Amino acid sequence: MAKTLNVVIIDDEAPAREVIKNYLKKYDYLRIKAECENGFEGIKAIQEFKPDIIFLDIQMPKIAGFEMLELLQKKPVLVFSTAYDQYAMKAFEVSAADYLLKPYSRERFDEAMNRALTLTNDKPANDKIVNGILKHQDENVDYLERIVVKTGSKISIIPVRKLFWLEAQDDYVMLHSKDGNFLKQKTMKYFESHLDPKEFVRAHRSYIVRISIIKQIELFGKESYRLILSNGQNLPVSRTGHVKLKAILS
Amino acid sequence: MKHPILRRRNLTFYISAWIVISLIHVLFLRFSQNIEVLWAFIDSLVFNLLYAAFALSFWYMCKSISIENLKILKLIENHGAAAAFSSLIWFGLSYALLMNIFPVEENYRLFLRGSLVWRIFIGVLFYFLSVAFYYVYIYSVNFKKQLLKEAELKTLVKEAELKSLKFQINPHFIFNSLNSINSLTMSDPQKAGEMTIKLSDYLRFTLSKNEKHKTKLKEEIDSIKLYLDIEKVRFGDKIEYVEEIQDKCLDAQVPSMILQPLFENAIKHGVYESLETVGIKFSCSLNGDYLKVVVENEYDPETSTQKGEGIGLKNIRERLEKTYSKGNLLKIEKESNVFRVKLFIPIVEK
Repeated sequence: MAKTLNVVIIDDEAPAREVIKNYLKKYDYLRIKAECENGFEGIKAIQEFKPDIIFLDIQMPKIAGFEMLELLQKKPVLVFSTAYDQYAMKAFEVSAADYLLKPYSRERFDEAMNRALTLTNDKPANDKIVNGILKHQDENVDYLERIVVKTGSKISIIPVRKLFWLEAQDDYVMLHSKDGNFLKQKTMKYFESHLDPKEFVRAHRSYIVRISIIKQIELFGKESYRLILSNGQNLPVSRTGHVKLKAILS
Repeated sequence: MKHPILRRRNLTFYISAWIVISLIHVLFLRFSQNIEVLWAFIDSLVFNLLYAAFALSFWYMCKSISIENLKILKLIENHGAAAAFSSLIWFGLSYALLMNIFPVEENYRLFLRGSLVWRIFIGVLFYFLSVAFYYVYIYSVNFKKQLLKEAELKTLVKEAELKSLKFQINPHFIFNSLNSINSLTMSDPQKAGEMTIKLSDYLRFTLSKNEKHKTKLKEEIDSIKLYLDIEKVRFGDKIEYVEEIQDKCLDAQVPSMILQPLFENAIKHGVYESLETVGIKFSCSLNGDYLKVVVENEYDPETSTQKGEGIGLKNIRERLEKTYSKGNLLKIEKESNVFRVKLFIPIVEK
């Protein structure tokens, strides 16, 4: 085979990476560009080397495998592995993705490689799989505890407890947090359903606000209201938002 | 237990039975003893009505004299006396009623006087019949209760076993360890062998222990060492383990598998979630009547999900409370980047 393919291995356990390297030896047209032990390194390596295939463990520190996927612009072919994660297995099954259950044999690995190699030549099929996993993730995840964002090449993790308010900006959402402002490519609807309604309220089509930082609601003009936050900032309130706020604050 | 006859359905049955007995009684007096129909009816009514009422009260005798706890002789003694006594009262009362209320004719009066012996005999017979019925009833109710209780107990035991198995062995840990072994077979077969033995020893220890039992602290610590050794193969020098154990603690009795969830927690929230080396500190000391066990781990408060008392710690708290009938034996402390669990295990003399 003439074409050389680039590979990145992401797994937090060294012995697990060793297995993959060992099984990959016979594929002499593959180049292992990087071995990463966490999602941070993983994202960096992916941006730098633009790999064709990524071996990805699902449970990892800081940024789990799925959170990493969200940040990828170009979707490489992914060969997932997991020891035991029924939730992840479900996600793979509904999106028809192949996955390796640790420990796995050389034969099973070769089978996964064959499928991965076919997918490197079939972009649409691969995109469909990755998007299927992301969709499953969006639909099934409980309330968020942290949000991973990428600004240029910098990756930040924002714990939800540091989040003040969110603002819609075209296809993005601006996250206003204790650590600064970050843009995330998601919808307001996504955040509305993935933030605990005991902590956050959608006050307006374009705003979601942490309830505990609301100082007061002020009449503004004839029939419209504005929210005053504890830092002095004020935000518009919609009619339905006002109804919701009144129910929560009373 | 409620009276078995004083219920609507059973009462109808009881009354019908007595009507039948009363009719037989009338026929017997009329044709065998040559008593006039009217007197035969009155006789039957008084005697049988009284006995029907008496028989209901025998239930309370049966309830207070249990057949399971008394010797057979004592039982016969008690019931024999009760049978004779109640039969005499029955006859005396019926006799007095008949003599005083109704203008009794001579022929019947003679018959009534002469009937004492066989009436007492019938009274005793009825007494034992009712008692036998009541005992069968009590026995069957108890038996059903017993069956239900046993079934409940069985499901409880099963649930507990399942629960403990689930808490004891984390499948994620097992499969990842096996994956490490698979890796070592290629790079370092001898180490693969060592790791296999360690994992087996650890699993065997875990499986042999039951949540209800107690073990020596030393055994618990030995199994924790195995666990940490295995995790060290997986995570290399990402774990920095320090221990401080007073020798005199080692023989103390502790509930089995009490340490493992603490270390699993420390590894999960410390090591799994961290990019750098994570310190885990373990100390045991004797404090008066208590064995004090402390497990602490460093963690990253920025991103960690270690909030406080998860299911593992809650389980330990409950077990300590149940085992020692005392609360507050588990304390959780959180400092800037240290998560600490303290156990206070009462020293119980054997």
